[in-house]
Amino acid sequence: MMGELIVRNLLHRPLRTLIGVLAVAVEVALVVLIVGLTSGLLTETAKRIEGIGADIMLQPPAASIFLGFSGSPMPIKIADKISDFKYVLAVAPALLQFNSTGGVDVIYGIDRDSFRAVSGGFVFLEGHDMEGPDDLLVDDWAAKAKHIKLGDTYNLLNHDWHVAAIIEHGKGARLFVPLATLQDLVGARDKASIFLIKCTRPEHTEDVMEQIRHDLPGYTVRPLKDFLSLMTSTNIPGLQTFINAMIALAISIGLLVIFLTMYTTVIERTRDIGVLKSLGANQSFIVRALLSESAVLCLFGILAGIGLSYAVRAAFLAGFPTLSILITPRWILRAGSIALAGAMLGASYPAWMASRKDAVEALSYD
Amino acid sequence: MGIAATIRTPAEGPFFQGKKSVEPILKTENLWKLYRAGKVEVPALRGVNFAVQPGESVAVMGPSGCGKSSLLYVIGGLSQASRGKVLVDGNDLASLSDAARTKLRRHKIGFVFQRFNLLPTLTAKGNIAIAQFIHGDGFDPHRFDVVTQMLGLAGRLHHKPSELSGGEQQRVAIARAIINEPKILLADEPTGNLDSKNSEVVLQMLRQLNKDLGQTIVMITHNPEATTYFDRVVHMRDGIIVDGVPAD
Repeated sequence: MMGELIVRNLLHRPLRTLIGVLAVAVEVALVVLIVGLTSGLLTETAKRIEGIGADIMLQPPAASIFLGFSGSPMPIKIADKISDFKYVLAVAPALLQFNSTGGVDVIYGIDRDSFRAVSGGFVFLEGHDMEGPDDLLVDDWAAKAKHIKLGDTYNLLNHDWHVAAIIEHGKGARLFVPLATLQDLVGARDKASIFLIKCTRPEHTEDVMEQIRHDLPGYTVRPLKDFLSLMTSTNIPGLQTFINAMIALAISIGLLVIFLTMYTTVIERTRDIGVLKSLGANQSFIVRALLSESAVLCLFGILAGIGLSYAVRAAFLAGFPTLSILITPRWILRAGSIALAGAMLGASYPAWMASRKDAVEALSYD
Repeated sequence: MGIAATIRTPAEGPFFQGKKSVEPILKTENLWKLYRAGKVEVPALRGVNFAVQPGESVAVMGPSGCGKSSLLYVIGGLSQASRGKVLVDGNDLASLSDAARTKLRRHKIGFVFQRFNLLPTLTAKGNIAIAQFIHGDGFDPHRFDVVTQMLGLAGRLHHKPSELSGGEQQRVAIARAIINEPKILLADEPTGNLDSKNSEVVLQMLRQLNKDLGQTIVMITHNPEATTYFDRVVHMRDGIIVDGVPAD
């Protein structure tokens, strides 16, 4: 009977119900997408860096895990020094340059031969490896997103590049240029932002890292097999605060809309509440009826929110193929729980108000 | 099989078991109800002494503002008396907490209102069934069928209030009020929003409930003709009962 009462009440004002459902859906989708976008970006970046195939990455002292944010390039001769360490198979210097023209990218300036020695080389979908100083390698996702074709001339950093190849994604960056050219362009001759180190065997990683720490004290040394676990929002300064603020904003939207929906519902149903009281319904019955109605409305909102999240992700990925939005069951559950708790909180005052209404006044309400 | 044979009378219901009392089922002693208007207290009831025997039907008449509705709400436990006693089946409402009064109302009182007061979102069936749900004994299909057939609602159960005539709505309201076998049925001008034909139908049904089932009824009315269906008529004026004479 309670179920019938709830369903019929929700259907009685379909537009109001729809607005409530949409508000919860937006709340859930906002949470899922903000977290999904953040974790998707971090995970995808980490996977690409892991995908290089190096065992160790050396960065300047106190460098960020977010490579594009790191400054203070290091002398390239460090590569020679590391190459002499025991168990080191190859060392590839790379100069990383943040580029915001035509999208946000990190361009890798690489030395073709050393990068190949460390990574095992690119998979060429079209074209060939770097041969000239202006050759640009573009991964397939970036090529699709930016509509770049083999043989095109592409302007980056106020420099015209020749697209020499479309490569398979997953080797660190989406755009690769010759190290020397990039050094000249950005005024960092003989400098590198990171060194990628390949050990003779993976189990020698710790030995090599120990040698680096000993001979190059203060530098940041990271084993790349752990990179994925390090790329979390909590390791990026301010990011977790931003996510929390966005989640709080989303919750506020849902909470306020549910509050307003249930508040107007209670005002509109004042006489019905009086009738229920005349039938002997106690305060707990009335609170339960209204909270259950909010919960049902919220559950529909959560389902709609999940659908909306996937729809928005599909739309984003169609427009921006290089974006990565990671929607996980854990965060769907968490966003749903947050929305439900917010809805209960938003409905609690109207429900309490309804339960406290004077029956006689309620019955004479017009 | 007649209605009286198929439906339990309130006197045979769970709250009457073991009690065949001649004590009034409803009694007020020096009952006062004061409303506050700003800093001024306005008396709606000024020392009402009133008693209703089990199985009796009583019509309360009086001009607007004389305190009829206040009396009904206080004896029905919807409103608390300012002074005096209200005894419903031996329970003094003044001494009961709000929760206890609600429980008493749920089990012993049925209300019928002038404006029907059906829940607009539910069907006729839902409006009757919700009373059973709140009562806590669950849906009793036998009792439901008997009551709805008696009130001529069998073919209208799946209609919403907005799809029913005034007379039908009031019959649904009566069904809702009696579905849980209350000891007392309180009716607040039940014919006030009905035409004469439907008024007569409703009044006949109330009389049938009283005569066939022994349902105790207290009805408020403006309509002198309506009082002819009742055992006794009580007149009120200025918050007090001015007489109480048996009707013809």
